[in-house]
Amino acid sequence: MSRRTTPARRRPSTALTLAMGLMLLYALLPLVWLFMSSTKDTASLMNSFGLWFGDGFHLFGNIRDVLTYDDGIYLRWFGNTLLYAVVGAGGAAFVSTAAGYGLAKYRFRGRTALSALVLGAIAIPGTALAVPTYLLFSKAGIVDTPWAVLLPSLVSPFGVYLMRVYAAEAVPDTVLEAARIDGSGELRTFFTISLRMLAPGFVTVLLFALVATWNNYFLPLIVLSDPQWFPLTVGLNQWNALATGAAGSGVTTVNFYPLVVTGSLLAIVPLVVAFLFLQRFWQSGLAAGSVKE
Amino acid sequence: MIPVRPRRRLLALVPAAALALGLTACGSSGPSPAASTDPAAALDTPTTLTFWTWAPGLDKTVALFEQKYPKIKVNIVNAGQSATEYTKLQTAIKAGTGGPDVAQIEYFALPEFALSKRLVNLKDFGAAALEPKFTASAWSQVAVADGVWAVPQDTGPMAMFYNKKLFDELKLEPPKTWAEFEQVAVKIKESDPKRFITSIDPGDAGGLDSLMWQAGSRPFQQKDATTVAVNLQDPGAKKTADLWTSLLSRKLVDPAPGWTNEWWQGMGSGRYAMWLTGAWAPGNIASTIPDTAKDWRAAPMPQWTAGDNVSAENGGSAVAVPSTSKNKAAAAAFAIWLNSDPQAVRSLNENGLFPATTELLKDPAFLDKPLTSLGGQPANQVFAASSAAVGKGWQYLPYQVYANSVFKDTVGQALGAGTDVNAGLTAWQKRITDYGTQQGFKVTTP
Repeated sequence: MSRRTTPARRRPSTALTLAMGLMLLYALLPLVWLFMSSTKDTASLMNSFGLWFGDGFHLFGNIRDVLTYDDGIYLRWFGNTLLYAVVGAGGAAFVSTAAGYGLAKYRFRGRTALSALVLGAIAIPGTALAVPTYLLFSKAGIVDTPWAVLLPSLVSPFGVYLMRVYAAEAVPDTVLEAARIDGSGELRTFFTISLRMLAPGFVTVLLFALVATWNNYFLPLIVLSDPQWFPLTVGLNQWNALATGAAGSGVTTVNFYPLVVTGSLLAIVPLVVAFLFLQRFWQSGLAAGSVKE
Repeated sequence: MIPVRPRRRLLALVPAAALALGLTACGSSGPSPAASTDPAAALDTPTTLTFWTWAPGLDKTVALFEQKYPKIKVNIVNAGQSATEYTKLQTAIKAGTGGPDVAQIEYFALPEFALSKRLVNLKDFGAAALEPKFTASAWSQVAVADGVWAVPQDTGPMAMFYNKKLFDELKLEPPKTWAEFEQVAVKIKESDPKRFITSIDPGDAGGLDSLMWQAGSRPFQQKDATTVAVNLQDPGAKKTADLWTSLLSRKLVDPAPGWTNEWWQGMGSGRYAMWLTGAWAPGNIASTIPDTAKDWRAAPMPQWTAGDNVSAENGGSAVAVPSTSKNKAAAAAFAIWLNSDPQAVRSLNENGLFPATTELLKDPAFLDKPLTSLGGQPANQVFAASSAAVGKGWQYLPYQVYANSVFKDTVGQALGAGTDVNAGLTAWQKRITDYGTQQGFKVTTP
């Protein structure tokens, strides 16, 4: 805060404060609803006011049900999501950084074409690639394994593009020349010198990839059939489908509504924690790219 | 319009070509050597079957099977519900691997799999002999185009579920005809403008399908492998559409998505006085609105002509063996046992599935059982009578999953806005015809 220059002092605007208050309310209401609903059993979920407590406080009972249903499959989904998010996003950030750096700092034949290809790849939505990806993986024999989710997560054309632009600015050619003269190999230069200069860009890509893999739904939905490998998104949706019995056949003997609501509440906790913790990196990461030093 | 179409067709061709490539490539890896078609022998060979189903609690019935045939291990997998499962199943079968040995498929999606030869013809495993065990309407859903493509698991004969407490308060009787239904709807609205006789889900094709089915409409008819007739303006469809247009435009019926929190609140609070749906509903009522479940009762569907007795089905599914299964004989034997063995059928029913077999439907113990969820009413009598009165000859499209997915953009728009439902049906017919033609079907229209 102190680094920022304070703008000329203005009187607080009532209208703006009010508008901000409304926005805050709008953003928080779903969370309040989610929390309140997690404390209810099915009956009060269906007949009490959404933004206040219902009959009794069932939060801990609901959490117990979520964690124990079907031999604790929820915890397994939680672990899967963490695995996909951490390994997938971390890998994507690293691959993007290396590729972007290579494209920015080395002259080689086909460089322009390769850059154009990466730029073009951004335009293709992952959803359109899901079925071809499935067929490819099916031939490779990795359908229904975590690899089928992890491998595509590693590829992030947007990350490569971002890192290419960032690396061109953040790593001065003169530094690389100095390193070469001192006898450092290219790999060593990359790992010991360039990577540090690229850190803010790396974190930015990491955050993008983290959010993308955490929310990834369609790809795991297509390539995974065994619930043991589901991430939370697919697993919770499966519970939701069971709750709504949309197909009109089969009667639920388990009360899935509280499971879905409480499961969703637990699912956002790590994301909230991660956001609060990584926010400062995010801010410095975004700002670092904007100013030439 | 004209320049759009070829491009569209081209786009549609690209994935098709990719799939075809995948298909031939996998085909060359060789079909398994002539597999045994003897179910009895297969049940005596150690095998692990993968069973895709989303019905919770089926593990109890499967455990009975494993007890009886200890050499077979059944691995239950919930690969997703309804449309989700079908997308996966299609992809897995095209790819040749990753699919299950046995799969739960709803009746509406079954022709799509059967006619594209993605399922094993269970006739080869003696399933034809099962016909007398099942209700006529259930059997007609699985016996399509000279084959038996699945074993019926459960059905959903339609019934009128009504809030008896509310009806008693307003001194109303459950309507016997659709004309009475409209009068009752007016009285319910007059008692409180926030009340509706019922709701209709603008996103659920199955709901309106069932109402049209009951009115005598047969909009989808498979003529042969590549020809389908589609007529969403036949007399039955028209009178259904006219009735619901009238009800919706006067705000007597609420166009609300079903199964949501708000919708169940409406069911529990007396906002909705009725629910026209399949016989599987009592379990859902009991588990979701336990406080008011005892107020609800079941009655036969309103009739178009006083004194008639015509019903229809809503929902229901069957169990099939995909053509990619490596254990076809054991899979077929399991599917047959699961849905026709009396002990298994009883177990399925205890789990909430409404039976497709006639034996249980005639059993006095089943018929006279008071349903605690419906205030102790022996409602199975109503459901069994409905099951016997299901109108004959209803068929689904060989691409019903797609047709249902565009329902909400066509008919759903009219239902939601309370405008002419017939216009919505015409728009739906056009989408169905266009898509069918693109897929290479000959779609005849009146």
